[in-house]
Amino acid sequence: MAARYLVFGVLALIAFLMTAPSAMTLFTALKPPEELIRPAWTPPTAITFENFGRVWTDGGFRRYFLNTVLISTVDAIVMIVLASMTAYAMVFMSFRGKLALQVLFVVGLMIPVTAIILPLYTTVRSLGLINTHLGVIFADLALAMPVFVFMFSSYFVSIPKALHEAARVDGATELQIYRRVVMPISIPAIITTGLLEFMWSWNDLLLRLVLLPRDGMRTLSVGLLNFQGVQTRDVAGISAGAVIMAIPVILLFLFFQRHFVRGMTAGAVK
Amino acid sequence: MADLELQNIQKSYGATKVLHDINLKIDDGEFVVFVGPSGCGKSTLLRLIAGLDDITGGELFIGGQPSKKLSPKQRNIAMVFQSYALYPQMTVAENMGFSLSLERRPKPEIREKVEEAARTLKLEALLDRKPGQLSGGQRQRVAIGRAIVRNPQVFLLDEPLSNLDAALRTETRVEIGELHQRLKTTMIYVTHDQVEAMTMADRIVILNAGRIEQVGTPMELYNSPATEFVASFIGSPKMNLITGPAASEYQAVTIGIRPEHFDIVTDAPHWQGQITLVERLGHNTIVYARVPDVGPVTISLEGQHDYEVGQTVGLGADLSKVHRFDSAGRPVG
Ligand SMILES: Nc1ncnc2c1ncn2[C@@H]1O[C@H](COP(=O)(O)OP(=O)(O)OP(=O)(O)O)[C@@H](O)[C@H]1O
Ligand SMILES: [Mg+2]
Repeated sequence: MAARYLVFGVLALIAFLMTAPSAMTLFTALKPPEELIRPAWTPPTAITFENFGRVWTDGGFRRYFLNTVLISTVDAIVMIVLASMTAYAMVFMSFRGKLALQVLFVVGLMIPVTAIILPLYTTVRSLGLINTHLGVIFADLALAMPVFVFMFSSYFVSIPKALHEAARVDGATELQIYRRVVMPISIPAIITTGLLEFMWSWNDLLLRLVLLPRDGMRTLSVGLLNFQGVQTRDVAGISAGAVIMAIPVILLFLFFQRHFVRGMTAGAVK
Repeated sequence: MADLELQNIQKSYGATKVLHDINLKIDDGEFVVFVGPSGCGKSTLLRLIAGLDDITGGELFIGGQPSKKLSPKQRNIAMVFQSYALYPQMTVAENMGFSLSLERRPKPEIREKVEEAARTLKLEALLDRKPGQLSGGQRQRVAIGRAIVRNPQVFLLDEPLSNLDAALRTETRVEIGELHQRLKTTMIYVTHDQVEAMTMADRIVILNAGRIEQVGTPMELYNSPATEFVASFIGSPKMNLITGPAASEYQAVTIGIRPEHFDIVTDAPHWQGQITLVERLGHNTIVYARVPDVGPVTISLEGQHDYEVGQTVGLGADLSKVHRFDSAGRPVG
């Protein structure tokens, strides 16, 4: 019995430590200026949405939000298509240079972004895509592609080969098999990919900071930095911005949670 | 409908050759069974005919047309897989109509053909279910239904009954036989079960280690096996193969006597043997005996008999039905 309470105690502590920063951020975002001097962990006595309004209009978050939604949505959708098609070819088809391609993706898996940020910048600039959303989308896709190709591949190898063969005998082309046989049974992998890529793209700071110097093109993650001067800090503003930024991701996760978890384990078990 | 011709078909995976010079002609409308032990290359041969694997050497003609380079679709064949390979996200009707929908046939036509096939296979009540909601036997029917909807030139079936229980297997065996009678489409059926082969085939192709051992009607294979391997493979219980002095008496290295050609006799026995086991099946009785200098012998007797383990009995054989083989396993004389 005592052991049980101990376990509960430890779990409660962990839960508290994990939720505390979010709760404090939310509290701060809802506080009127005069309450801000009180400690961050005290709930607001009078709730105000004034911080959100200020960040949204004066802070330019409306613009940032739209930019971010645009980039992340395109990222997620294009990634699903590209990664699944690549993985399909690697799992179900045989062609020359397949092994080389696999090696390339494994290498891609191992290179951290920070290591190649400068060459990446020059590449994007030479394409004339600095300060364009397209440039960021290209960079996002290129960098995360190996991960999702890997994910789709490990899902696809769990699909019986006979299914692909049956479809070939039925007269389906590779594209038809991809669209009508393989993708419909890969929903968990599709959702996981879309969600993860959306979230990574949503939260990324480094690439956006480097590739989008002009303020009008920037995203939420970069926008948050505006509230932080060298000497001063608009704590309530940052908090409201962070909450705005977190809400869509939380909603997406709540909505797709069931599939997401399944997608993560699929391919691992079988 | 079409005839098939295999000319010197070979298949290698890298350096390992799994099929050597397969020559075979299959007539239009014939029911041919490929049979042989596990790993002999039955599935591989079927997949080469289907176009799922590339043919390493030789030529394949389907309906007189060289088909080695054609895609599975162009060959117009249908295949039933051992695992059934039904599309899990589609209903039974969608599974069966998939090939037609790929050809962009009009919806009413697809529905009509699917319903017709469903009637044939007693699947009407299941058309809206997903494969996951079906029993093994029902899935197997859907897999056959998917094949017949297309009205192909040739049916290929790779051990379609191996996942069914014994009773269902016998039942479905009969149904596939009837289906062939009705459709009269060329069928190639792979199995490792010689009873399936004997009961269903117009002609049996016996494969062993990537080579054809013999091609013939079931009775040809039973009565005049071309090799010792065929002799031991066809027939149940297995033919008794006896070597040593008992075989030398017949100027052979090995003699083969089917269990059903032995008899237990009281006067002028050929051999004396001690019974080691008796299996009573009702319509026949199988006696296992040990004969000194000969070895274990299986005897299949019609009807019911009361022999006891340990009893010594005299064995007589129908000498006109003794098969004689030389050291290479070929028939003598
Ligand atoms: N993709 C492959 N690569 C290498 N060898 C293979 C491949 N597929 C089959 N083989 C080999 O070819 C031989 C024939 O295989 P096949 O599947 O045709 O046997 P089978 O007669 O169908 O046996 P079973 O009754 O067990 O299904 C086997 O020795 C197998 O190991
Ligand atoms: Mg096989």
